[in-house]
Amino acid sequence: MGPSIIRTYDLWKQYEDEGRGGMALRGIDLEITKGQIIALFGKSGSGKTTLLNLIAGLDGPTKGRIEIDGEDLAVLGERGRTLLRRKKLGFVFQFFNLLPTLTALENVLLSLELAGAADRRPALEALALVGLSGKEGRFPHELSGGEQQRVAIARALVKSPPIILADEPTGNLDSVTGTQVLDLLVRRCREAGATLMMVSHALNTCEYADRILRMSDGRIFEESSCEGLAP
Amino acid sequence: MNGVIRSFLRYLVRRKSLSVLQLLGIAFGVAAAVGMTLASRSALQSLGSAVDFLRGGTTHTIARPAGPMEEGLLARVMGDPAVKYFAPVIDRKVRLEGGEQVRMLGVDPFLDKDVRTLTARIAASTRNNTQEEAFSSFLFDPGAVLIDENVARSLNLSPGSTFNTMQGPLRVVHIFPNPSGEPLIIIDIGHAQEFFRMRGYVDRADLVVTDEDAFRGRWATGFTIESNTQKAQTLSALLGAFRLNLQALSLFALFVGVFLIYNTAMFAVVSRRRDAGILLAIGASRGQVTAAFLVEVLLLGVAGGALGGVLGYLLSGFLVKIVGNTISTLYFFLKPSVLPWSFWNLAGGVFLGCAASIVGALPSLLELRRVQPVEVLRGRIASRGASRRMKTIALSGLVCLAAALTLFGLSFLNVYIGFAGAFAFLLGASLFAGFVIILLVPVMKRLFSRAMGLAGKIAIGNIRENLGRTSVAVAAFMITLSMSIGLGSMIDSFRQSLLWWMNSQLRGELYVSTKADVNVPEEFYEELKRMSGIGGIDVFRNVPITFRGKPASITSIDASVLQRYDRFGWLEGGDENWEPVKQGGAIVSESFSRRFNVKRGDRITIETASGPADLSVGAVFYDYASEHGVIMMDRSTYLKLFGDRTINSLGIFIDEGNPDRAKIIDQVKLRARALGLPFATREEFHKRILDIFDNTFAVTRSMRVLAIIVAFFGIAGALMTLFVERQKEFGIYRALGFSTGDVARMTIAESLGLGLVSFLMSTVVGTVFAVILIKVINLQSFNWTIFYHFTARPYLVTALTTLTASLAACAYPLWSVIRKYPVMQIREE
Repeated sequence: MGPSIIRTYDLWKQYEDEGRGGMALRGIDLEITKGQIIALFGKSGSGKTTLLNLIAGLDGPTKGRIEIDGEDLAVLGERGRTLLRRKKLGFVFQFFNLLPTLTALENVLLSLELAGAADRRPALEALALVGLSGKEGRFPHELSGGEQQRVAIARALVKSPPIILADEPTGNLDSVTGTQVLDLLVRRCREAGATLMMVSHALNTCEYADRILRMSDGRIFEESSCEGLAP
Repeated sequence: MNGVIRSFLRYLVRRKSLSVLQLLGIAFGVAAAVGMTLASRSALQSLGSAVDFLRGGTTHTIARPAGPMEEGLLARVMGDPAVKYFAPVIDRKVRLEGGEQVRMLGVDPFLDKDVRTLTARIAASTRNNTQEEAFSSFLFDPGAVLIDENVARSLNLSPGSTFNTMQGPLRVVHIFPNPSGEPLIIIDIGHAQEFFRMRGYVDRADLVVTDEDAFRGRWATGFTIESNTQKAQTLSALLGAFRLNLQALSLFALFVGVFLIYNTAMFAVVSRRRDAGILLAIGASRGQVTAAFLVEVLLLGVAGGALGGVLGYLLSGFLVKIVGNTISTLYFFLKPSVLPWSFWNLAGGVFLGCAASIVGALPSLLELRRVQPVEVLRGRIASRGASRRMKTIALSGLVCLAAALTLFGLSFLNVYIGFAGAFAFLLGASLFAGFVIILLVPVMKRLFSRAMGLAGKIAIGNIRENLGRTSVAVAAFMITLSMSIGLGSMIDSFRQSLLWWMNSQLRGELYVSTKADVNVPEEFYEELKRMSGIGGIDVFRNVPITFRGKPASITSIDASVLQRYDRFGWLEGGDENWEPVKQGGAIVSESFSRRFNVKRGDRITIETASGPADLSVGAVFYDYASEHGVIMMDRSTYLKLFGDRTINSLGIFIDEGNPDRAKIIDQVKLRARALGLPFATREEFHKRILDIFDNTFAVTRSMRVLAIIVAFFGIAGALMTLFVERQKEFGIYRALGFSTGDVARMTIAESLGLGLVSFLMSTVVGTVFAVILIKVINLQSFNWTIFYHFTARPYLVTALTTLTASLAACAYPLWSVIRKYPVMQIREE
């Protein structure tokens, strides 16, 4: 087993404004090694997205600790967490979350700009790798859903981050396009040696995963297969 | 340009129509402030140049404290060792045949050429042009005058022409240029004495004094010596309250402008919140997001400010005329000209635009800094927690209102504190907008549902759901409507108070001349006294004075006549207050009392022809004739103190029930007409005063219109944003089977709903604002009490304005709905 890149210790998260006590995570202990492809399943409200947001440093835990590549997120502070997202994390969302006023190329380039390397060539290459050559100048609303998600993948991968967090990357796509996008995402991560943590409802995600995790009621469980994981 | 900034700025291009509305909103807000400032400044500048033009090289003037100065004194003045040059002047008004009044200066051309380039040039030019005949005509022909080019143009006169005045015909011997713009006629001083029947007297002497202290020492008793600096200060002080009001109006316009920018910025934040969340998630810092938003806001500020600077300059061309007319009507002739275009108009506009943008965008900027990417990415929008937030905002509104109350309590220290209080009140009231929407929505839902069906119900729901946006639009619109109601109610209350004052103090059957018109010869007064049937004649004389270094005035009247026929409004006591006046005491107006802190029973010292005189103040009366204050005394007291027999006007009183009333009035009119004296019946006189009053508020009315235009852009912007932001929602409506007509009705209902909440709020806020204007601002600025009178007119006018603005504001969004809705689909991006 390789060195761990993501570690959580007794992670708790409570939302003040939510019902049922608002406890989204209940003592998550997790270790993910470099280059692993993780599929994270669970019903709505089980805490999958919350866990992803905490790992990305977008939100803080109520209790517990998170280490990314050996660095404690709490110690890093806001500035440090921002730098972490710039250099070490790539995000792929269900609803693509491209900036609507920027073209496909500009959306990808933005990621490089923030990482401090605003070079058009890798951005163009990243778009070519996701099969969007010739569509660099298009705005998000001029692209199909699948194409928008490819731009989002290119934006996440272009800066070669060691970790990619994907929150239901195929949730908003039809099954054929979803499979294509999943295939592309996993392939690119494997080629780059990046760790991919995918939140998903689609069972075919299991086929691509090295490790399957399931969340239920704020707790995490290790699964050996997709059997019994009803969507 | 980096990607973060680019992603924000592209919205300006992407949502062109919205950007244009935002830009125009800022531009009009800035234009109001720039226009009013420029108009005010041109008035002051013109005042300076008018004073300089007539002052020439003189340094001081000497005159009696009231009335003309004996000619015999001139030799003594001339012989004073401190006087280098001197020039006697008669400064009066002549009434042209058409009724227009023109200032007429009687000067001695030989003495005057040493102190004034104007007359020196006339004398020189006539001689250089060998027009010896014209010059000698000016000296020896009793009706020969020099007229300025404006009078010549308006009366179509040229050298040699003759024109008629109420006092007799005049013949033009020369036309001279007059940069001051004030119509001016110049006559030889000897002829002026004949013309105005003041043989042996002059009004003043203009001097060049070398040793001021020594001169003042020698002429301290019985004379008023005024340096040019003092003169300028006096004129400027006369305009003090008026200028203050102009400043306040421009500040209010800017306040609305800032609100609109806040409105604009708030809309921008709503649409940028999601982008900010994405940017933060992919590694942008909060600083970068804030900077990008700031650049966007500043860009609008710069462009809107620059446009506002240009529009403001154009607006000043219109306002300067109104301001000039008002000053000429109320204080002294002034014809301000528009200031030349300057780069600083643009720079000032940009500065105001940027400053207002930063102030207006600050709350939104802070909100953007607090954006939680997790919340945004989870699809949460601010309005989900809006109810609670609106309550918190309303609580901060309460804090603002408390601050306003404190400031009102301290406003006696300075009127600006009162203004700050008024702003705090408006700000505090605006913070209640969201809370009021929440309160009113259930009722409005029922109302709109009944009137417009499902579309109306959904529309009101939309207003509630988009509180973040709609509350700001309502606040901005409500503030302008409140200003409209407040100013309207204040003006109406003032008008009612003025009517009450006129009906109690100006009860004469007929008034012969006025203080602003030609004087009434004393013989005419004597002639009327001999007429049978007249119950009483009030002899009115008003002279400006300086009291404790500030401008004020003395009025002499016939106390016995006024006691019998008038019904003065007294702050304390009743008509028994006239008794001490008849015995040599004085009464003072409310504004005098407040300005100089003089109360009933106090003693005041005034400069008279025979030195300082001590007068007892018997009472204080309500008065709206002058905000600078009036000391009123019986004519017998006045004659004793000043020896000035001038009469400005006569008030003719006839006993009620006198069967010959009409005949007597006709007789007086006939005799006045024979002497060329103007006259007016009570009704005509009252109407003239009301006309002046209405003209005075022309500027205020213009600013109200402008504020409403600014607010219109606010509402239009809000509706447009709602439309742009809810594309997905419109897609759902379409899928559910809503027709274009349904959605169009929904848009209209949203606009009317926003207008209705704004109007309902403004009826309360506007009424309170009117009371603030009356009880705090006016009292501090003008020192007089206005009695609050409820009139429906401001509310009806504002209701109509609301309806018009709401319908006009939804015109463009409606057009967008009709154009775009039929092709809308449900989509995420």
